[in-house]
Amino acid sequence: MSSHVDTIAALATPVGTAAIALVRVSGPDAVRLATEIFGETPPARLARHADYRDKAGLLLDDVLFTFFAGPASYTGEDSLEISSHGNPYIAQRLLEDLFARGCRPAQAGEFTQRAFLNGHMDLAQAEAVMDLIHARSERALASANRQLRGALGRQMGVLIDGLLLALARVEAYIDFPDEDLPPEDRALVAEQIADVLRGTERLLATSHYGEVLRQGIKTVIIGEPNAGKSSLLNGLVGRERAIVSPEPGTTRDFIEEVVSMGPHSLRLIDTAGLNPSPGAIEKLGIGKTFEIVAEADLFLIVVDVASPAPLLDKILLDRLKAGNALVVCNKTDLGGAPAMKGELLPELKAVSVSAKSGAGLESLRTAIIALADGLAPTTGEDVVAINARHAHALNQARADLAAALEKLATGEAAELLASDLRGAVAALGEISGKVDNERMLDALFANFCIGK
Amino acid sequence: MIYNKIPFDVIVCGAGHAGVEAALAASRMGAPTLLLTGNIDTIAQMSCNPAIGGQAKGQMVREIDALGGEMAINTDVTGIQFRLLNESKGAAVQSPRAQCDKKAYQFRLKHTLELQSNLQVFQATVTGLIFEQGKVVGCRTNLDIEFHGRTVVVTTGTFLRGLMHIGQNKNEGGRLGDFSAKTLSTSFLEAGIELQRLKTGTPPRLLGRSLDFTKMQEQKGDAHPTLFAFHDTRDPQDLFHVEQTGERRLGWAPGCEQVSCWMTHTTAETADIVRRNLSKSAMYSGEIEGVGPRYCPSIEDKFVRFADKPRHLLFLEPEGRTTNEYYVNGLSTSLPFDVQIDMVRSIPGLEKAELLRPAYAVEYDFAPPTQLYPSLESKRVENLFFAGQINGTSGYEEAAAQGLVAGVNAVQKARGGQPLVMQRHESYIGVLIDDLVTKGTNEPYRMFTSRAEHRLLFNHGSAELRLLHHATERGLLSRSRIDRIKFKRDRIQYWLGIFENKRSGGVFWGDLMRSGGANVQTPDSFSDETPEIRAEVIYNVIYQGYIERENRHVRKLSHIEKIRIPAGLDFLAIRGLRRECAQKLAAFKPFTLGQASRISGINPADISVLMVLIESSGAGESDQN
Repeated sequence: MSSHVDTIAALATPVGTAAIALVRVSGPDAVRLATEIFGETPPARLARHADYRDKAGLLLDDVLFTFFAGPASYTGEDSLEISSHGNPYIAQRLLEDLFARGCRPAQAGEFTQRAFLNGHMDLAQAEAVMDLIHARSERALASANRQLRGALGRQMGVLIDGLLLALARVEAYIDFPDEDLPPEDRALVAEQIADVLRGTERLLATSHYGEVLRQGIKTVIIGEPNAGKSSLLNGLVGRERAIVSPEPGTTRDFIEEVVSMGPHSLRLIDTAGLNPSPGAIEKLGIGKTFEIVAEADLFLIVVDVASPAPLLDKILLDRLKAGNALVVCNKTDLGGAPAMKGELLPELKAVSVSAKSGAGLESLRTAIIALADGLAPTTGEDVVAINARHAHALNQARADLAAALEKLATGEAAELLASDLRGAVAALGEISGKVDNERMLDALFANFCIGK
Repeated sequence: MIYNKIPFDVIVCGAGHAGVEAALAASRMGAPTLLLTGNIDTIAQMSCNPAIGGQAKGQMVREIDALGGEMAINTDVTGIQFRLLNESKGAAVQSPRAQCDKKAYQFRLKHTLELQSNLQVFQATVTGLIFEQGKVVGCRTNLDIEFHGRTVVVTTGTFLRGLMHIGQNKNEGGRLGDFSAKTLSTSFLEAGIELQRLKTGTPPRLLGRSLDFTKMQEQKGDAHPTLFAFHDTRDPQDLFHVEQTGERRLGWAPGCEQVSCWMTHTTAETADIVRRNLSKSAMYSGEIEGVGPRYCPSIEDKFVRFADKPRHLLFLEPEGRTTNEYYVNGLSTSLPFDVQIDMVRSIPGLEKAELLRPAYAVEYDFAPPTQLYPSLESKRVENLFFAGQINGTSGYEEAAAQGLVAGVNAVQKARGGQPLVMQRHESYIGVLIDDLVTKGTNEPYRMFTSRAEHRLLFNHGSAELRLLHHATERGLLSRSRIDRIKFKRDRIQYWLGIFENKRSGGVFWGDLMRSGGANVQTPDSFSDETPEIRAEVIYNVIYQGYIERENRHVRKLSHIEKIRIPAGLDFLAIRGLRRECAQKLAAFKPFTLGQASRISGINPADISVLMVLIESSGAGESDQN
């Protein structure tokens, strides 16, 4: 019974930072996706190394991917397994891209369920499968409910109410044309839709902040090889971290550690392979390094007070500003004068430390917390963090709302306009729970005097 | 006495809009059928407004026609004004509507029933049902005559413990001038069928010659009437088979000599009268316990809930060609009669109006329809079917649609055949019945186009194409009509092939039409096709993208719609099912996984668990439909 028409995708490895993240895709579109993303569908069960570029062409990661032709796969369907670097952010970006290409987020236990339904498990396993679906869905439900009880739920409520009001207006004119309704006001409907669209976009904009909340503020430590970056990382982490010797030629040459600082969670990234000198980033290509610099929230520029000021790469310099970077003048224990700091980056705050002795580390922590405070809204009521599944639904809603506005502008039939708005309602309902047509009718009868 | 030694296949109790369709469907399928009515002279009476069709309802009437029902033809030949609504809002939501001659409508249907073979009509009030071992086997009447049947279809309308209110005045009855079926409710309760109360209302009727139409705005019918029956695919014998046998029938050439409706409005004085007397209204004095419909509020409700609205529109609708009686659409009320007179006379054009009948509210019992399978058979009592207002609906069209389905399914049950269950993506009737049996209703349920998530597929002209396979499988249409519909379908397919594959000056004909609308140049012989075929082709070409999108959604859902839940499945014993979910399912007994998924509070994981269980037990029979 392989009658599933949609292709599902999900992260198969636990969320968090690990060496590898595995994204699993299953369904009839697996071949199309492989061809679209990697330019080929390799023979089954043969791992390939390839660049993963998103729909817009941006390189997300270099990955290993394996194609499994159904029925000889876990689910019994055509499947893809994509292994990326273990950064959860990359995994989320991969998922978002797969959703944009037509996959839908898998439900709790759905891979296993498909495996069962496609006859890849024997009957004795049915109950185990049912237990698994049950347990996973309970967890997912609990987590979704927690989110919806908070700011996300409230903001979704506002969006859906606004959308239903606009839809009710359109539906009233379709279902009660002979009635005593006020003149049709397309401008008002357009305004209401635009309002919901703005709200949807605001919510989408929090998707990055959502990552920040979950995975910490991405803080990059940059400096020349001997500036003391590793010592600083160890100093801030508060214990010796085993340094994995970088493997030249690969991009796994950076070390990550998550630390708590005040109310913030920071992901410290020691860029062992990142030499800040001019052209270095470009030379390394637009791979991992470029991504790190492009996506970092905070920069710690480590300089050795005893050495001359380093020359920084243009790509890096462009990202530095007073609100997201500190100059860490290291090795003060060696007694050098931090004179070159002023020449280097006059607008940045500088903190003197000795990573080795620990002197100045407290002031550095304070300075980092101050920057982090400014970076992220405080964890108050209005903080909304959305994940890849939410972003998928919101993107769908955004597309439908934009299409509706377009139809209003070109004067297309009300039933087509309504079709887009109903699509947006369904998309938002994927986050907040299904929105029944009764709710639209409630809005309709509350706002319009219908009654012949 | 027992009337019949050999049981009828189907006994229909009640000859309103649901009952007549049920009786005709059953007897036309060849099943010996009995139709019982309390009053043969009020068969298919329009108890409220003298009109058929309108939004969603108009499409539903065409679907009834596509399934061999009578409502469409009866409306066409007794209609006195035809209008196509929503012409500017898109092809799918255009709906035909007609004013009918009330008496002609009834008498023609009565005559149709009389001439129908396999059908017996009899006047008697049903006082109770006869049960044997959890099954219904017949019914008792007030004449002490018992009728035995293999199945019984109950279509009691508003007559079950009907109670009418005019101010503080109360009268028992389902309609002014008619009786109330009191003891039948007891029969249902004894069988374990739950009953609840609903309320509906109707406006006063006025004498035309006492009205001043010069103060009102005229509303004319369309110059080119849109009819309900699919005349183009019928054999002349289908249409006027009675005339062929030499019988004379009521009715006229469809769309001829149309009459007008008239528009007026309430005034500040009307509002004042209503507000001053609010406490005398049955609805506002707490006399009425039933819930009324939001879409059809009384005039009291309108002035209270929309207090800032200065005036409300009213429509004067003629009740027929040979009567001077007018229906005041928009003025439903349960205020006392003296207040009604003052209120009516405060309206422009009605200053000297004479009331022929007062407005009134009516309360009645209904059986919450979640107690039914999608076949409309009771989950409690085998072989017992319900249709129409007893299921909590409102409207002649909703009633007729259910009646037809119940009639077909009663025959299928008696014969051991598969029931007719339409999907939500196939028809408004499918949406109607699925909504009723899955969600129930707490107000009189009326169909709106917005209730159908796939309404873009439901343009009225496609009804007989959409439902052809159902009509064919159940033998609801004549061989010749089925052939004509198939021919029409093939022509449409042929032209769609031309439009999407052939070019005109380098551009596909379809693209040409999508960019330029329906009025662009078309292939040469396209204009030779019938208007019905052309309209359907144009609709499919212009809406191609939308239709594809809808069909994609349908395909995604079709999987679980086809998985039947085995009867007698013990939900409470299923591992991995949430307790509250198991209890809900046990109480509800859904028919398919699709239906289960639409029950409120059932989430996708529950459906996944059920799917695994059904598959592993090998019990899920796939519905071939």
